[in-house]
Amino acid sequence: MRGITRRSVIHGSVGLVAAGLSCPHVARAASTTATVWWVQGFVEEEDVAFRKLVADYEKASGNTIDYSIVPFAPLRQKVVSAITSGAVPDLVPTTPAEAYVLFAWNDKLIDVGDVIATQKGEYSETALLSAMCYNSVEKRRGYYGVPTVSAAQPHHIWRSLVEKAGYKIEDIPNTFDAYYDFFKDVQKRLRARGERKVYGLGFQVTTNGNDPNNLFNHFLIAYGGAGIVSKDGILHLDDPQVREAAIKALTYPSIAYKEGFVPPGAINWNDADDNTAFHARQVVMDFDGTISTEVAIIKDRQDYDDVVTMGFPLSNDGKPVPAQVAIGVTMIPKGAKNPDVAKDFMKYFIQPEVNNERLKTGLGRSIPAMPSIVKGDHWWFDDPHRKAYVELGLLGPTIPEFYVYNPAYAQVRNEHVWATGWTDVMQGGLTPQAAAERAFKRVEEIFAKYPIVES
Amino acid sequence: MSSSATLAEIGRPLVQRRSLWHYWRGGLRGSEFTWAVAFLVPYVVVFLAFVVYPVLYGLWMGSRPGLYVELFSDPIYQMTVANTVIFLVFGVNLKLFLALMLSGFFMRPGCWTKLMLLVYVLPWAIPSLPAFISIHWMLNGDWGLLNNALYEVFGIDGPSWLNSRWLALGSAICSHLWKWTPFWTVILLAGRMSIPQEIYDAAKVDGATGLHSFAHITFPLLGNLYLVLTLLATIFLLGDFNTVFFVTGGGPANTTHLLATLGIRDAYDMGHPELGVAAVMSALPLMIPVVVVLMRKLKNTQVQL
Repeated sequence: MRGITRRSVIHGSVGLVAAGLSCPHVARAASTTATVWWVQGFVEEEDVAFRKLVADYEKASGNTIDYSIVPFAPLRQKVVSAITSGAVPDLVPTTPAEAYVLFAWNDKLIDVGDVIATQKGEYSETALLSAMCYNSVEKRRGYYGVPTVSAAQPHHIWRSLVEKAGYKIEDIPNTFDAYYDFFKDVQKRLRARGERKVYGLGFQVTTNGNDPNNLFNHFLIAYGGAGIVSKDGILHLDDPQVREAAIKALTYPSIAYKEGFVPPGAINWNDADDNTAFHARQVVMDFDGTISTEVAIIKDRQDYDDVVTMGFPLSNDGKPVPAQVAIGVTMIPKGAKNPDVAKDFMKYFIQPEVNNERLKTGLGRSIPAMPSIVKGDHWWFDDPHRKAYVELGLLGPTIPEFYVYNPAYAQVRNEHVWATGWTDVMQGGLTPQAAAERAFKRVEEIFAKYPIVES
Repeated sequence: MSSSATLAEIGRPLVQRRSLWHYWRGGLRGSEFTWAVAFLVPYVVVFLAFVVYPVLYGLWMGSRPGLYVELFSDPIYQMTVANTVIFLVFGVNLKLFLALMLSGFFMRPGCWTKLMLLVYVLPWAIPSLPAFISIHWMLNGDWGLLNNALYEVFGIDGPSWLNSRWLALGSAICSHLWKWTPFWTVILLAGRMSIPQEIYDAAKVDGATGLHSFAHITFPLLGNLYLVLTLLATIFLLGDFNTVFFVTGGGPANTTHLLATLGIRDAYDMGHPELGVAAVMSALPLMIPVVVVLMRKLKNTQVQL
């Protein structure tokens, strides 16, 4: 009988190695495959929706989408690592929202203007402004992300707690400061009724995550500071109106915290902690992005119906306060092996009927970046939460994030410069004015590193 | 010059070269040496690809001097270095001291001791992430388990454990001790069990018991092991990420970061991977001497009782 010999083992090993080395040749033959890293949804239905969309695309096009669904935080790390090392996928959504402007600044993304052109007339002005970023190498602006969703920050309010305090939802004032002062009064009344640990305001006065950045910008805009960064990317901290608005935006939340109307733990919240506090009915009102707060409890109908989703009050001088909308874009990194397939997939993805179906299957946690989608489908208005959210983030007055004009503001957000200003007031003993001056200095230092020179 | 001396001089280098070649081949000959190389090559390739290359790439990423200028001028980095030193001093020394004392307790005979050891080891067995996330929630000053228990039992409002730098850092250190002390206790317990009982019996004859036994027998015999464990614990703790990240998140306001968490923050939250690598590499001036001392101590040394 012939047994295993050293020669046969050597021959077998060499054969295996040869077979392995030949695999890339097989892979290279599959040039109709695009590698996609997709962000995991907050609810399972969002992932189901994405998988269905991919299956439909593959059937329609004959291309293959080799996708991975990755949770938010690890995807952020994967994207930074991939773009740093050059081993990039063909398509990936921006994670977090502001990442793509920094990548575009460093000439790491492929221009996707041809994809956007297929549906340009459908997009909101805010979405189109958000997709256009500045490339510091080519010294020009271009479309470096394909908008797929919009996200705004509505208010989430427990009706039962407001009523327990002896009020009705309709009693909430409709001007800015009075609106938030109302919840301070609700807290006092609830405490008088024995609710020991309930707080009126769920302000995320922390230096972790995205929520504090959104909260600060909301107050800044409401107080008249929307012009802090103009469309040409110039910082306007020298504008007295902007400075005053920034000081007020640093004042109200931090003083509310010091006065005891915000949970003390909020100073160290991460992005999930305010949702946890709200669901535990420890805060009466939470200001948080999307309607994930409601969707998370959709199976508990009583609680779902008890939460009120509300837009913005008017400013203190009676003017509408625009919602600052973060547009979720999908980007194609430079070095992608199959950018044409990736573009073809995105052209399919952003068709209004396709995107609408995906978002609806995902329980409407995110809203589209195209007004016509919601106007043509009453589903978006059948649910009071979705209705309020759509009216706030898509149909009402909206403005894009400041970082789309200059990526310096993305670094301001990443460093939590403004949130650090709150901490300086809440724990550092500084006055809001002094904290603001410190923050202004840092913001100016950051902007100095991002000069915009258009060719 | 005599011919025999010449022959000896000629022969000597040839013998040395043959010995060196023989040494590198490990005494193997012909196809045996070929087979040895063939089995070694996959390991070397994987080692080069997954250890050497990433380390060299990281060193290259963090090699720009400007990164360190930017890093050292950042007040958050300065605070982080202080936190890391505090964490090392208390985290390592308290941990090993407790482990040494508890290892003595668990040497006691009896099934109850063994049962308690089993319970004591559970924190180490539980995965870090759910454990530290649970601790983060338990320490919430408003509705966490700890403060609720304090209120229900004693009627007092506990502090906000994660709202001030020192309380948060202390909470992180305590969480680290809770999680990792059992591991070092078991090692020291094994060390104690390897001490021959005859030495204690002989000492008892001479009247040495309790503290005398510990001071003159146990600790000298465990001394080298204790030192090696201290060095190892220092190295491990320098790379500890999970404790601070999940218990305090580096907050409040970035005041409780360690070098490991700051590196991740700079690399991914700031989108500046080179700065993150530089933050972690700034620990090398401490880590390298510790490793060198550890390698030297791992050589056999004698103990004087």
